[in-house]
Parts: sequence; structure tokens; C-alpha cells
Amino acid sequence: MTIMICFIICTFRAGISSNQPFCTSFHVSGLLSYFSGLFGSKERRILILGLDGAGKTTILYRLQVGEVVTTIPTIGFNVETVVYKNLRFQVWDLGGQTSIRPYWRCYYSKTDAIIYVVDSMDRDRIGISKNELVSMLEEEELKKATLCVFANKQDIEGAMTVTEVANALGLSSIKNRKYQIFKTSAIKGEGLDDAMEWLANALLSNN
Amino acid sequence: MCTLLSGFYKYMFQKEEYFVLILGLDNAGKTTYLEQTKTKFSRNYKGMNLSKITTTVGLNIGKIDIGNVRLNFWDLGGQEELQALWDKYYAESHAVVFMIDSSDKERIEESKEAFDKMLSNETLCGVPLLLLANKQDLADCLSVPDIKTDFKGSAHKIGHRDCSVMGTSALNGDGVGEGIQWIVDSVKRNSIARPPTQKDIT
Repeated sequence: MTIMICFIICTFRAGISSNQPFCTSFHVSGLLSYFSGLFGSKERRILILGLDGAGKTTILYRLQVGEVVTTIPTIGFNVETVVYKNLRFQVWDLGGQTSIRPYWRCYYSKTDAIIYVVDSMDRDRIGISKNELVSMLEEEELKKATLCVFANKQDIEGAMTVTEVANALGLSSIKNRKYQIFKTSAIKGEGLDDAMEWLANALLSNN
Repeated sequence: MCTLLSGFYKYMFQKEEYFVLILGLDNAGKTTYLEQTKTKFSRNYKGMNLSKITTTVGLNIGKIDIGNVRLNFWDLGGQEELQALWDKYYAESHAVVFMIDSSDKERIEESKEAFDKMLSNETLCGVPLLLLANKQDLADCLSVPDIKTDFKGSAHKIGHRDCSVMGTSALNGDGVGEGIQWIVDSVKRNSIARPPTQKDIT
């Protein structure tokens, strides 16, 4: 304990002595985030990605408020803090339209996990979805991110099964990353709890 | 001289990298086995809470170093519909671990079918195979000789390869070390047929 206090004081003084106010705040905030990291209240950063109309925004608000909200196509992003079993997630839901997909990469850095949402009814565009996923996973910044695929809209009859989605997305070519597929229905709220449970465990064991 | 130097360089800075596939029916204990292995063989690894492991629908990975051998594990989901994905990994595997839930007598037959189907794939020809009779910590489980008897019918399909049957308990870690050591020995022995990839240690 004494050592810890000494350490804090030393760091603090080192900050003050160097005449620049910026430096002080840098040290203190660095220290704070270090200690908050120790106590496990660090926020994990999660991106929700996928083609337009897959259900990303519905999933985000289902996770946050537990209700189905009426959504309009996202142009830009939605960001919310979701608390699940003492873990805080900073969840970013980015718009999925063709014209704004190139901007996804601006949000990649320091991402802990990606939730990739697929519309299980949209057999026509699953190929496009695959291409977006593949090019995303090639990014250096996402190398350590855990992948979680949501095969969404499972409430509709005739939706693709997990195996179909896995094959269509070419997931079996992923060999150096942990991933998991979940059957979800954002409208009915099914599968989301299992997914968050898994994600929480996966992120805990990663650190 | 040159060979000596390059050999020394390899010894110091390179690892032979092998890929090990963990297969078996769902709920056989594949992910638990992988987590237990990671906890046992890698320092500083804070394992997952074993009781919190849920059904895998996808892939779990693991990496351990033993001497100058690096083992990469692929743990795949075992549900029936997911078994279709197994063969995508066969071509690059250097060894296969097949897990059997020894306490689930009703599904032994199903397990055997999956096992036979796997063996019938020619891509896996000659690849070392470790059969693990898991959950040996449970009271009324089938013993290793029982499992051997049950799987006798498949013996002729195994062909010419290293094969072993071991009892294990992924949950409390019994037999995990022996299994891994067996894998290391047999992938090395099979390294002419399936050479490892050389990887620089970074």
C-alpha cells in the first residue's frame, strides 16, 4: 500500500515539476485509467457492423434499453454504453449503407470485439456481406479483436441456418481468430443474452 | 559451417509450428480441454472460468509452446449441423484430438458415427489421432477399455498412423499433460509426411 502511495506521489510530482500543465493532466489521467483497469471497470469497445438493414441499430437498443425501438437507416453512428454483469461496453453501431461503409475503418483502432450482423433472410446480398467481412478482418488494427457473428432475423420462417451463414461468409477460412456465431432475433430479443454472456467471458479471458 | 550456423539460428529463433484439431460431439468437453491445456502450458494465462464455458458455435483457438515446438489448436463446434465445417480444416492439420464424453452412454453410437465419417476423409490420411475418453472424473463413466471395445469396429479404418486412446478429465486436468506430450511426439514423428511451418519467434 505504502509503495502504491509513493508511486502515485512520485508520478504526480514528476508531472508538476515539468512546468507544463498538459503534462500533469496526462500523468494523472494515465494513472487513473491504470488503476481503473486494475479494478476491472475498464470499458470494452465493441463495434456493431454489417450491411444496411441487418438490424444493427435494433440490436444496439435492445441491448441497452431492452426494448424494440423504431429505427431509421443510420447515416453516421449511434454509440451507447451497455452494462452487462459488471462489465461496461462502449458499443458503436455504424451505418451500413454502401456509400458509408468505407468509413468503418475510421473506428477500428482499439476495438476489443466486433459484432457482425447478418440478415439471415437476405440470401442475395450475403456475398457482399462476406466481402465486407473479409476485407475488414484483414485490417491490422482488428487483428486481436474477437469476432461474434449474429445470424439475425431468425424469427422469420426460412431464415438461413447457422451452417448456411457460416459457409456463405466463408468463416471456415478464419484460422487464427476466435469466433462464435449466434442465432438472434433482435425483434424478439432471442439469442442476445447468450451472445453477451459469451462476449463478456471471451473478453475477460483475453485480458 | 553454414549448415551449422543456420541450424543454430533455427534452434534459437525458430519454432516448428503444428496445427492440432480438436473434434468430437457437442458437450464432449473440447473447449474445457483447450482451456485446461492453455492454463497448464502457458505462463501468465488467466484461464476462463471453466464452469462458464458455453456451447461453441464457431472456433476457439489456442497456442502453446513446448521446447521448440509450437502447437496451435483449433477447437470447433461439435453440434451435428456444424460437423459439416470440420473438413475445411483437415488439409492444414498435423494431428487430430477426438473427444468422447465417457459418461454419455446414449450418444456413444453417434460419436462413433462422427468418428467414422471423419476417418473416411482422405485428407486426414496418416495424421496422428488421439482419442480421449473424457470425463473420467465422473462416477459411472465408461472406462478406457470400454471405449476401446465400443470403437473396435472402426479399427480397420484407422490405417497406418499413430493412434492412441487415453482417459482424461478436462475439468480437473488429469491426463491433459500426457495427451499433449503424446501429440508433440507424434507430430514430430510424422513431420516428414506433414512438415511443420517454420515460424520466427517475435
